[in-house]
Amino acid sequence: MRPSYFINFMMGIYIFIFFAYLFGPLIIMSITAFNSAEFPSITPWECFSFRWFNEGKIAYDGQHLAGLLSDWRLHDGIISSLIIGAGVVTLSVPIGMAAAIVLTQVRSQLRDIYYSISIMPVLFPGVIIGISTVVLWDRIAGLGGEGFIADIGRNGIFLTILAQTCFISTYCFLIFVARLQRFDQTQEEAALDLGASQTQVFFKILVPYLSPAIASAAVIAFLFSFENYNTTVFSILSDQTLTTVIASKVRLGISPALSALALTIIALTIIAAVTYEVLRRRAEKRYAESQEKFVKEKAADNRINKKYKAGFKIPKGIAAILLIVVFATYGATQVVKNDLYGQSCIDAADKEKKSKFLEQLQTLESNELTDEELSGGSLGGNQDYGDIFGDPSLFQDFGGFD
Amino acid sequence: MSADVELSDVSVTFGSFYAAKNVNVKVNGGEFFSFLGPSGCGKTTLLRAISGFQEPSEGKVLIDNKDMSGIGPNKRPTALIFQNLALFPLMSVSENIAFSLEVRGVSKEERKKRADELLELIALEGQGDKKVHQLSGGQKQRVAIARALAVEPKVLLLDEPLSALDLKLRQRMRTELREIQKRVNITFIYITHDQGEALTMSDRIAVMNEGELEQIGKCDEVYNNPLTPFVATFVGENNPLYGKVTGIEGDKAKIETADGQYLATMNESKKLNIGDESIAFVRPESLFIPRDGDNFDNKIDVNIESFEFEGNLKNFYASLKSGAKIKFSVPNAIDTSSITSGSSIVLGFESSKSVILPKASLAID
Amino acid sequence: MNNFLFTQPFFKKNGKAVAIYFLVAIIFWFVFLVIIPQFYMLDLSFRTNVPPLARGGPEDYYTFEHYSHFIFGSKTATDAFNFVDLGVFGRTIFVSMLVTIANLLFCYPIAFYIAKIANPSTARLLIVSLIIPFWINELLRSFALRILFANEGVINNFLTGVGLLDQGILFITYDIGLYTGLIYAYILLMMFPLYNAIESLDINQIEAAKDLGSSSFRTHWRIVIPHAKPGIVSGCTMVFMLTVGALATPVVLSSPNTLWFPQLIYQWFNMNDNWSRGSAYSIILLIVSVIFVLTMMRIFKVRIGEIIK
Repeated sequence: MRPSYFINFMMGIYIFIFFAYLFGPLIIMSITAFNSAEFPSITPWECFSFRWFNEGKIAYDGQHLAGLLSDWRLHDGIISSLIIGAGVVTLSVPIGMAAAIVLTQVRSQLRDIYYSISIMPVLFPGVIIGISTVVLWDRIAGLGGEGFIADIGRNGIFLTILAQTCFISTYCFLIFVARLQRFDQTQEEAALDLGASQTQVFFKILVPYLSPAIASAAVIAFLFSFENYNTTVFSILSDQTLTTVIASKVRLGISPALSALALTIIALTIIAAVTYEVLRRRAEKRYAESQEKFVKEKAADNRINKKYKAGFKIPKGIAAILLIVVFATYGATQVVKNDLYGQSCIDAADKEKKSKFLEQLQTLESNELTDEELSGGSLGGNQDYGDIFGDPSLFQDFGGFD
Repeated sequence: MSADVELSDVSVTFGSFYAAKNVNVKVNGGEFFSFLGPSGCGKTTLLRAISGFQEPSEGKVLIDNKDMSGIGPNKRPTALIFQNLALFPLMSVSENIAFSLEVRGVSKEERKKRADELLELIALEGQGDKKVHQLSGGQKQRVAIARALAVEPKVLLLDEPLSALDLKLRQRMRTELREIQKRVNITFIYITHDQGEALTMSDRIAVMNEGELEQIGKCDEVYNNPLTPFVATFVGENNPLYGKVTGIEGDKAKIETADGQYLATMNESKKLNIGDESIAFVRPESLFIPRDGDNFDNKIDVNIESFEFEGNLKNFYASLKSGAKIKFSVPNAIDTSSITSGSSIVLGFESSKSVILPKASLAID
Repeated sequence: MNNFLFTQPFFKKNGKAVAIYFLVAIIFWFVFLVIIPQFYMLDLSFRTNVPPLARGGPEDYYTFEHYSHFIFGSKTATDAFNFVDLGVFGRTIFVSMLVTIANLLFCYPIAFYIAKIANPSTARLLIVSLIIPFWINELLRSFALRILFANEGVINNFLTGVGLLDQGILFITYDIGLYTGLIYAYILLMMFPLYNAIESLDINQIEAAKDLGSSSFRTHWRIVIPHAKPGIVSGCTMVFMLTVGALATPVVLSSPNTLWFPQLIYQWFNMNDNWSRGSAYSIILLIVSVIFVLTMMRIFKVRIGEIIK
């Protein structure tokens, strides 16, 4: 297939637009994380700052806008997300594995229906799984009177683990099914024939064979659990996870602290992806080397064994990184030179805004409120933030002052 | 440490299909015994019945005179070598070999010792730490044998283990297998569709067709005195001559075919009567081009169609008057340059080298 | 039972301990996590909404009121039908279909390019680049769009700053942000089935078609698309189901005066505390989803196993 240059060119443009659509919003969001302004934006660029990753800021109106480090609700949310993720992994991986292995054993007439039941949960809308779990366990808790059952039946973390396990098990199931399709059943028979009991066959043959699938199922289960919102928002009840915290924050109005959070997650994702890729390549290389060694041992003549000296070359990746570093340094020096970074810049900006704000408030002749708000600012906290900006449109109006 | 294996009236059914039907066979201790038959004849099913993966629907499997029904494969004194070998790819060669000891809770040192012994037996000393995928085809084969021998089974079952190898290696492994069998002196039950393999290695063979045993016997016995037309044509090559019995003379019978009358030897257990539809078989190497002074019991007029050179032999393909085809082989040492396509010649064969059997279907049908 | 359900005796095949683990795991999953909760929700959707203490009392009886509320509105309402809820419902389904079609159209060229035209290293790079955004939380991705589309957001600031507009466009109010976000949210679930399906097509078939004089368009229509059908169905089903059931993206991006159907469920459930009605609406959503999957399977003659792999 050799398309004409014109089509190729159009295709290139299309691909560029497509990836711009995928990455553009993420990149812009990442940049806004470094703008010290309260409203995530680029064009009125205030100061370059890391405040949204750290303590956040006390706004000119006295409002405490939490940064990543100072936001205890976010921290609590992350902790419960981690707990839920761990719970989901410990439940859904064994369930998915059991279901996939049994799939290979059910009679062929039943296989379709068994498979359909197994994949049903991912076809259910997430909200429904959350709701059904909650209504069922509320009933169970109600029947159980006071005590342990009532406690766990009304425990958001427990319910979320169950609800997420319901559909995440299916993803694990599919991973195991794919791996089992390539399993050579005579391995099991060989082990049996050599005297292994059925249990030993399971632990010494099947589980080692499935171990890569176990690892990827665990990772997938954790990630799906960690980022789930639709199911969790119902089943979590009065608790909070990372996603519900993010959602409630977004609903209240958008803060650059969320940009900072997103950028952190993006960075972690990329690091994880790169690590995974490096590990995979290393394993592949090791395998290739062992094969090569084998070939060399076998080879009668020594020609293959000669080493070829490679010329010195800068890998492309390093060149790209160098380029980025050069640009970043240049950008940073420009930022510092123009006094767009550091405390002095932020102070200046705040001062300007505060005076503007006061001016406006004075014109509104609501001096009482101003005093109260300004003094109350030091107490700060998200609670206040939530109360004041309960109405999202209100916050947007404030954003308008920037 | 070898054991007898006895199959007594063993049938295996899948639904209404008989994979094996009323099989009776006794394999003696220390014997190299082969089941020979085309694919789908039920030989693998029998092997699975002996190893315990398949309970017979009827009948019994006895090993060392003990009834094996209800005893799982992991409890039987048998070891199976699979067609694809089924080596464990995630384990090293030593771990593979010592697996049966590992599952029995044998200590690590003991396992290592035994693995080294076996590696020596199969001439792979010092290669125990390799991974399975680093071995060549023949080495894998030997590791599979060593693995099966590790717990000193009384019976070793082999399911066409050589079928994946190339020709040269296959021939070498035949000799090697035979040697290993002599050294460890246990019962080998071998399954193959390759009659060459079966004949070269085995003490006795059993020929199977469609789930039933056709014949059991020593190799030369089966080759020279086939009991059924199937065996006659499956073990080695044979030319069938169809006709009716017209006379009986002692253990010989006269058969009238479209191309003439021939005299052939009857099998003791397959007596014929005059008028019976029957087939006389004569092997390609038993057909001779008569020289001066030769006097054969039977003569046959043929018209050469083509020939091929095989090295030690030259094979001729000829047709009879009736259109029936016949093949004969002449050792390369004899000069046959005068015989070319189209020439008409007379062939002769001895009645003692020809068997006559009641009509039934052939292996090549 | 053994021979009825399994190819080999279950306990003998797996050993007792492992067999028990299998059975417990599967029954726990199927029965306690999948079947019972759904049936209980179905039951609840036919009951009156009563406080927990009144359950089992005279107030607690079976009724169709929640379903009739969805169609006809509350008993005191003057309208013949519940135009608000039906409107939300209809709009959700209609927009989800458009989103699905848009996704298919956007993804097809890229999937084809990666699968059949790009050289392997480029293809690999593109695939990795496709996966990375997928690992970022749906909420945060929607948030990124919110930053762009907010009334004082990056786009409006830019446009007014440059002087193209006097006043920002109300992207959020007109739900432009929502639609963009919904397309953005699940685009990769269209991409991968499509890519996998096209990838498995033998390149020789395409070349043979070209060789026989088929135009590009015809080659796609007659060769590539029929081959990719299972992937297309799979992608469309996944995208539609997820879009219809989306909650995160509408929460972040929908305008304050319009609702997405799951948001309606959320309101009945969490704000109005009417669990029975929330359940009834959930059942309606579930039925739509099931009908959609079955229709797709019927129309395109694919098995359920081909939809989800």
